Amino acid sequence: MTFINVIHAHSTVLLIVSFLLFSFLMPILERWKNSWCATMAVAAHVLAFVFIGNLSWRVFTEGTIHYELGGWSPPWGIEFVVDYLALFMLITISTVSFLILIFGTVDLTHELKPKVLGLYYTLYLLLVGAMMGLAVTNDFFNMFVFMEIAAISACGIISVKSDRECVEASFKYLMLSAVGTGCVLLSVALLYMIGGHLNFAFAAAAIQDVAHIYPNNILVALALFSVGFIVKAALFPLHVWLPDAPSSAPSPSSAILSGLVIKIYTVVYLKLLYKVFPIELFDLLPVFDMILILSALSIFFGSIFAIVQEDIKRMLAFSSIAQIGYVFLGIGLANSTGLTGGLLHIFNHAMMKSMLFLSAGAIIYCTGIRKIDDLKGIGLKMPVVMGAFTIGAMAMVGIPTTNGFISKLYLALGTLDANKHFYLAIILISSFLNCLYYFPIVINAFFGESEEEDGEEEIQVKKLPLRMSVPLIILGAGCMIFGIFPKYILVIIERAVEMIL
Amino acid sequence: MEDLIVRMVSRIVVPFIQVYGFYVILHGHLTPGGSFSGGAILGSSMILFALAFNLERGAKKLSHETSTIVECAGAGWFAILGLVGIYMGQNFLTNKEAGFYMGAPGDLVSSGAIVLITLGLGLKVASTVVTLFYSLIEVEGDAHD
Amino acid sequence: MIDFADVAMRLFENMYYLVSVILFVIGFHTMLTHSNLIKKVIGMNIMDTAIFLFFVSTGYVQGGVAPIIEPGVEQAYINPLPTALILTGIVVAVSVTAFALSLVVKIYEHYGTLDAEEIMRIRSTES
Repeated sequence: MTFINVIHAHSTVLLIVSFLLFSFLMPILERWKNSWCATMAVAAHVLAFVFIGNLSWRVFTEGTIHYELGGWSPPWGIEFVVDYLALFMLITISTVSFLILIFGTVDLTHELKPKVLGLYYTLYLLLVGAMMGLAVTNDFFNMFVFMEIAAISACGIISVKSDRECVEASFKYLMLSAVGTGCVLLSVALLYMIGGHLNFAFAAAAIQDVAHIYPNNILVALALFSVGFIVKAALFPLHVWLPDAPSSAPSPSSAILSGLVIKIYTVVYLKLLYKVFPIELFDLLPVFDMILILSALSIFFGSIFAIVQEDIKRMLAFSSIAQIGYVFLGIGLANSTGLTGGLLHIFNHAMMKSMLFLSAGAIIYCTGIRKIDDLKGIGLKMPVVMGAFTIGAMAMVGIPTTNGFISKLYLALGTLDANKHFYLAIILISSFLNCLYYFPIVINAFFGESEEEDGEEEIQVKKLPLRMSVPLIILGAGCMIFGIFPKYILVIIERAVEMIL
Repeated sequence: MEDLIVRMVSRIVVPFIQVYGFYVILHGHLTPGGSFSGGAILGSSMILFALAFNLERGAKKLSHETSTIVECAGAGWFAILGLVGIYMGQNFLTNKEAGFYMGAPGDLVSSGAIVLITLGLGLKVASTVVTLFYSLIEVEGDAHD
Repeated sequence: MIDFADVAMRLFENMYYLVSVILFVIGFHTMLTHSNLIKKVIGMNIMDTAIFLFFVSTGYVQGGVAPIIEPGVEQAYINPLPTALILTGIVVAVSVTAFALSLVVKIYEHYGTLDAEEIMRIRSTES
């Protein structure tokens, strides 16, 4: 029994357990060797890359991987399933969170007190582990537990600065996510009542059998699931927690919240909609049309709110609400092109939004500026950061050769396939609105003149450390590369969509 | 709180509460209860001690640092017990096949890894309760300064 | 024509579900409408408790006892799975409550009030 065989056989569970174990050991290590915490967190991510590499190799060669915890077979035990969808999420989460972490190792020492630094990495690893668990779990109750872990650790990394805005935003998020998980647990109870199984596959089969006897149970469960996940994913009418949380938190927290945490819930929701609920149900309740309407509202109002913001991070947070609308639009279209666009947008938006938040964080780190109006003429002083910001802004708008263009193209084709031209108009209008709030910043930064000349109020610029610029460059290059060669990620997404539909 | 009666009563009661907490933890695999209930009982005995005497004497018995470390170690213990299953060539968290001593049903030493997990998690819950208490009370203390 | 006696009978038979839904609505209402932060936390707890009651009662079997199997005794046992799951749920709810209360303490420290509307007013006058 060699080491390689162990990794080969157990990489699914080792992936999640390594994150949890590292985060449990962190507070002990923190007392003993404070400076090692960042290294440990990076090491956990490197280990995760090994496991994910093995998983992707196995998924591509052998197909879907089932892992039974404790050797108990599915109806009784908890089961982890890695299919193309889960693999896609694992790759997205690990890559983006690794880059955010590298950025954070410098930025956090500046933003946080040294006392809480080790605990921050604990929460960060816990959050990443819980998100990966949500991607691979195939069990209702396990899903609920991972959701709560993710919610509490996300609240923790918001409130870690413990100034007044952070604490209040964190409390708001905690309350709303308690409503969300409450709704999810109640609907799990409703499904367990009639199905008698907690495993997704077995519950789906059982629900299929009894759907005509208890349609009301399933309908209420579906409604509660929708409310729960929409709160968690911050779709328009229930988005109120999102703008406060990332705008006040430290920049790495904002990046991971906006870039990854709200995405994972949409993926879980997608998994439930297609895997668990019987298809006949959707004739009874047009849930896809409702999702479409909500996503259109979300796209539109997210952009409108973003235009009037003055704080750069708050603007980016509102923009996230618009972008999560695109992902839900892809789910709601329910055809293969639209769903491909939605899933692709998860990956693309995770990259561009974390890049934008990190470059905002870099601006704050170097100059201390948060107001959009004060950014005039900063582009020439910080070429790397504003270059990354420009690429991000272009990707958000959907200029060709950036990755945002590809996912918007797929979504637009999807609306045509589904014969819903109204939503095509929404996508176009939203792109114009995106122009309206991203490009003034870019133009101001590169061509705007500072109002006070003669160096009276000259902006003091600190030098950008290497560990902050490298993640920005990698993310920016990624946005361009996946805009020109999207096929490398589409390989996984197309198979995932094929498997779902 | 400088009350003689409270001090005397808690001095008498605390050991019994602790023994009862350990009893509930150790019989987690046989009777209702287990790591969470027993750990909460055990932790609340420490809180009772710290409230009846003063915080300094409570902290001397179980300091904030120690309780944090025990808390993390308890969670890590669970993960390590799961890894034993992998080490023995089975799946994660495997119990019987991984070679844990199963014993006869109903005995105190039985059920393999469950009793070990319960013990670790019981200590974890107890220290978590104590850590929460200390954290909240220290925040309160800062506010009045 | 609805037979009220029949409806009342069925509601009575499913009393646990009825009560837990009522409790859920009470908790939800408390959480959303009260401006006092502590009351919000209490509302959240009532809501969670309602869900736990609902979940546990799905596993109840008429006349069943706790599933501790003794050799030679034949009787109906309740379904232990929901109970075990809800134990986990309670633990999660406790930790969420503890975290929420610690945040409330911090908020009180910063703003000097527990009233959500008052906090909103303070924030709007500042910015």
